[in-house]
Amino acid sequence: MIRITNRPLTSCSDACECARQFTPGLRLTELYPALRGGVFSGLLALSLATPALGAPAPIQNDFRDDQVLLNLPNLSSTQTSDIRTAQQLAEQVQTHLQQARSEGDPRFLGYAQRLLQDWPDDRMTDRLRVLRATLWQSLHRFDDAREDLNQVLARDGDTQNHVQALLTLANLEIVQGRYSEALTACKQLEKLYPGLIAASCRAQVLARTGQADTVYTELKAQTQQAQGQGQGNTTAMLWAEGTLADIAAQLGRPEAEQHWRNVLALDPEDLYSRTQLADWLIQKQRFEQAVALTKGYDAVDSLAVLRAIALQATGSGQAKSLIASLDERFTEARWRGNLLHQRDYARFLLDIQQQPDEALTYARENWQSQREPMDTRLLLRAAGATGNSAVIDTTGEWLASINQRDARYPEVQP
Amino acid sequence: MKHALQSWLLLMMAFGSATVAAHKASDSFIYLDQSNPDATTLRVDLALRDLALVLPLDGNNDQQLTGAEVRAARPAITGLVAEGVTILSDQGNCALAGQQWGLSRHSDGPYAAARYGIQCPDGAKPTGITYDLLFDVDPLHRGLVQWTTTEGESLAVLGPDSNRLDLTASQPSMLGTFGTFLYEGVIHLLIGLDHILFLLVLILPATFVRQQQLKLSRTTPTVSFSTRLWELAGIVSAFTVAHSITLALAALDIVRLPIAWVEMVIALSIAIAALNVFWPILGKKTWKLAFGFGLIHGFGFASVLGDLTSGVSQTVTALAGFNIGVELGQLGLLVIFFPLLFWLGRYRLYARAAVPAMIVAVTGISLFWAVERAGAL
Repeated sequence: MIRITNRPLTSCSDACECARQFTPGLRLTELYPALRGGVFSGLLALSLATPALGAPAPIQNDFRDDQVLLNLPNLSSTQTSDIRTAQQLAEQVQTHLQQARSEGDPRFLGYAQRLLQDWPDDRMTDRLRVLRATLWQSLHRFDDAREDLNQVLARDGDTQNHVQALLTLANLEIVQGRYSEALTACKQLEKLYPGLIAASCRAQVLARTGQADTVYTELKAQTQQAQGQGQGNTTAMLWAEGTLADIAAQLGRPEAEQHWRNVLALDPEDLYSRTQLADWLIQKQRFEQAVALTKGYDAVDSLAVLRAIALQATGSGQAKSLIASLDERFTEARWRGNLLHQRDYARFLLDIQQQPDEALTYARENWQSQREPMDTRLLLRAAGATGNSAVIDTTGEWLASINQRDARYPEVQP
Repeated sequence: MKHALQSWLLLMMAFGSATVAAHKASDSFIYLDQSNPDATTLRVDLALRDLALVLPLDGNNDQQLTGAEVRAARPAITGLVAEGVTILSDQGNCALAGQQWGLSRHSDGPYAAARYGIQCPDGAKPTGITYDLLFDVDPLHRGLVQWTTTEGESLAVLGPDSNRLDLTASQPSMLGTFGTFLYEGVIHLLIGLDHILFLLVLILPATFVRQQQLKLSRTTPTVSFSTRLWELAGIVSAFTVAHSITLALAALDIVRLPIAWVEMVIALSIAIAALNVFWPILGKKTWKLAFGFGLIHGFGFASVLGDLTSGVSQTVTALAGFNIGVELGQLGLLVIFFPLLFWLGRYRLYARAAVPAMIVAVTGISLFWAVERAGAL
């Protein structure tokens, strides 16, 4: 069982495949989408024009010879020539995906893609397809991911590959808010691989569709039972605790924090849980603790944005340089053109830059592909800040249609 | 896993606490400067981390790049750039003449950077640039190009499937930008209902003659159509001038108001202007009303315009085009609808029923908006 698909992937990289293809002499008209309806929101689109580019940093030649400029990442092998079997390839790809995930570094996704791209089609295996689907999901190529997974599931094959494919598929559908598809995958998983992981899968979906209270109690009991019987291996416990944390947060219960801390005790590199917990602490205005939790994670966009918010709230002098660094990052990312960490950027615009209209644009765009509570809450907050009741209404309608309630967005209770 | 974490922590420490390099996808930065027509320059910044994938930068294999190692790799880096970055012209490929070499920095860490002069055969003009580095180790790698000419700057992205930038395609001209935004200004007016309703209540008083006035001045000739039309053009222009002022204030980041409040006040202003038609509490000088409320309406753009002023070199042109577009749109609507309403004004039913009905409807709609927007505060 690989851990890559453990929690929904948050390292949705800058490295989106859909990099804006080069357009000869980009014109201003191409840089903003069609104007939206409503007079006073009309100009919104204009503000999405080219990122503001300052002059690049100067070229300096006075660096010392003994100065360590960079520590290189550990790349055991990116040489395709070393890889002869599908098994070797799978291991290498998995290592890259894991590095991308645990460090929040999208360059590893590129290395993984290169390896998979160079591999002949007729030698593709189910395991490689599952890994490729994970890569596609990280790059927000959700449909490509689905296609690979369905191909694996349509064939009789190794159970472990099926389990992995079902988990990945369920995850993908949950992230995208397609709960009936997710539930189907979770149920199939239950048959094939009963246990805490399948139970968590199911609980997650049911919680998001109106049964949070019941499934929280059930899953908690199941988790304690498994733990008591010594059955809960680390992976299963990670799944269960992470899911319990999500549901508790959805219900607005303080236990959420302990569940997340349990996850982080088992796996400090779980950036997803760290992000969720940091956000929770910020919502509870426990800024000092959010600062402590995000310390050392400035390189990861989602955590850096939350850290900046917390630092600013505590009046820390460190806030300024982190905000400047985030601003530079997002400017470069916008130049690259494929936003990328739209959620993080929207949050940055909303809570740091105080630009709710721009924040709403990115939050909406993000919500088209990702509908986790974090995404929904951000969308609603941005819509509230701009007074855009139409967005609040349509989001509310969607939430009502799936019967989703969440303590983090009490303004829309179906 | 543990090892990865350790090496990452090491990385953190190396950069100190002040600026930690971010993780991002692999990009190189290419600055092509043609702002001086006689001396085109090219600057290429390549991430050390990326270079280490394709060149043996880390001579002693200790996973650390030192200043000395990078200096030693200078010929290799220069060779790589010469191989992977090509400036094309009609007379053949242009030569790159090194001018400056060293280190630079982007958001994810240190870059090797070099600036070159461009010499094309027979003094020909560069017609294109191709970029082909690092794609074979990282298909997500991109070359980010900033192309500066005398007319401004534009951005492009080069990838494995689109590694060529055509330099003959002209940049958006000043006129082009102006035209584009002029068009957007017109469209902007036509798709916005609150704007149009405000216009409607501004022109209504001029389309009919009040009964009292009729009684008092049976003998005086009615004001001519063209006089009315000019008067109205003035009112509408006062509105545009006013909102242009606040727009500019916003664009220059001098004044910024919370957008949610502004939106609500805008809705209220429409209701007040509508009621003012029958109960001129704010006076009968409609142009003053139009000007005053125009200021508020201009703030409607405030929160979204701040970014416009930075970055885009032709912001002022764009802004001017946009405003004039709005004005033209208003005048266009006026030319089409005012004669119609003026003609209807001859009928008593218009003044007695149609106008009050419109006023009630507009007031109702705008008050509804106001309540709705207040709810979002």
